[in-house]
Amino acid sequence: MKHRLFLVACMSLLSLLASSQLIASPEVAQSEVKIETKSALPSALTYLNNMKQAYRELNYKLLYLNTAQNQIEPKQLIHGVVDGKSVAYFYFLNGAMRESLQFDGKISFYQQGSQAYSLATNRDQSVFANIANFNFENGNKSYEYIILGRDRIAGKKAIAIRMISKDQYRYSYIVWLDLESYLPLRLDIINQSNQILEQTMVVSLNISETINPWIQQLSVQATPDVLHLPLTAIAEVPKWHLDWLPPSFKIVKDDQHKLMMHDTDPVSYIMLNDGIVRVSVYISTKQTKLIEQKNVIRRGGTLIYTKQDENVEINVIGEIPLITAEKIAASIKPSK
Amino acid sequence: MKEYSQDLSSLMDNELGDKEVINTILDDTVLQKQFSRYQLIGDVLRDESNGLDLRMDITDNVMAAIANEKQDDYVAPLAAAPEKSNVVPFMKRFGQYAIAASVAGVVVVSSLMVNQGSSTDPSVAPVLNTVPFGGAAAPVSLQATPLQSENEIKERNERVEALLKDHQLQLQTQP
Repeated sequence: MKHRLFLVACMSLLSLLASSQLIASPEVAQSEVKIETKSALPSALTYLNNMKQAYRELNYKLLYLNTAQNQIEPKQLIHGVVDGKSVAYFYFLNGAMRESLQFDGKISFYQQGSQAYSLATNRDQSVFANIANFNFENGNKSYEYIILGRDRIAGKKAIAIRMISKDQYRYSYIVWLDLESYLPLRLDIINQSNQILEQTMVVSLNISETINPWIQQLSVQATPDVLHLPLTAIAEVPKWHLDWLPPSFKIVKDDQHKLMMHDTDPVSYIMLNDGIVRVSVYISTKQTKLIEQKNVIRRGGTLIYTKQDENVEINVIGEIPLITAEKIAASIKPSK
Repeated sequence: MKEYSQDLSSLMDNELGDKEVINTILDDTVLQKQFSRYQLIGDVLRDESNGLDLRMDITDNVMAAIANEKQDDYVAPLAAAPEKSNVVPFMKRFGQYAIAASVAGVVVVSSLMVNQGSSTDPSVAPVLNTVPFGGAAAPVSLQATPLQSENEIKERNERVEALLKDHQLQLQTQP
């Protein structure tokens, strides 16, 4: 019995050590930063900006795993540059063929058994894009960047950088970069209690001097028709506004439309963005019956929060903590 | 025909002196093709074909076959060419929009919450875990909280799914 207890103690000590390496507390991380600066190494911000450039400008192929709530999904991204423009080809490695190709202001979706189509977009939609395209200089109002230390991911020497949220309204991130190419190799979304909510981990990274011939070929091929999302006449749906926005979030979309799958169901729609996270707010008069305890659904970092009062149902969807969703929903007021 | 085969090989070996035979060969397309095949065989045998087109000349046959083939309506996705207008009336095909969501990895919610009301059966674990805030299921008092009927749960699932898919679609087209 004593032996067993001792073993358990040892094991938990070991796991503590292991986890502290991954998720160092801010205090530990602070001291590491000092060490890093002493030896005159690049700052966290420099690393992050290098990543931004590498993610946009290099020719590479990533095989990666997406993990959220015990579900693992292997995926592939091939990125290349044609005449200064990015081409990103993405597909699921398991299950039905699902793929997308983004190039020249368009993203095209292909799926087995369905007709392909394109959407007009100028934002990089690929896996690490939200982090890699963040404006880190402006972002220091919301996040603090701290070098956690070195690690090894996908056989590459990596450096882990933590982006700690300065308030309780957003999640924090740890991003691992390849020390050679500065490409992102792993990204963890973590909540305030340091739990990993969602993880993206590269298992194979291939960088080439020249563009991958396959996506070079794709970039010259005709893409499927561009579809435009229709809006509903404003008169049909009452307008709403938000009295409160989480710090450094901005409204990037504000419209009335019908839900794509339910064309009879008009909603007022507002999208918020802080440079990394996008939050959708839906306000509608349609209500579905709902038990109070089940008004929160989570999958990985994504939260769906529903609030019903009187004749209005508000749904908030995004990678945000519950408190943010609650405050957003509570701040919705009808516009005059 | 056969006699010319002999002449052809002589020609290839640069041993043919008969001008008349050469002219005959030049006029005869069948013989010309045969000659090029012989040359090719020779090249391959001498291992001089490096990078040479070994497909013979089947282009004509293939082109003819393609021309005769009935045009298939199905176009392989990646080769799909835009037809007519570039803008498609949206409502006609909103069902299509599901792809953006599924490419983005949105898991279909239906069929999952049906399990929630009943006791948890590990063998039918939902694909998408819906975890109430706090992690554990809230204690349910039989009198106070009426359970949702199966229809209501289904309706709710569809609603959540529609919202999630719309969310994904909006993300893809964010300005």
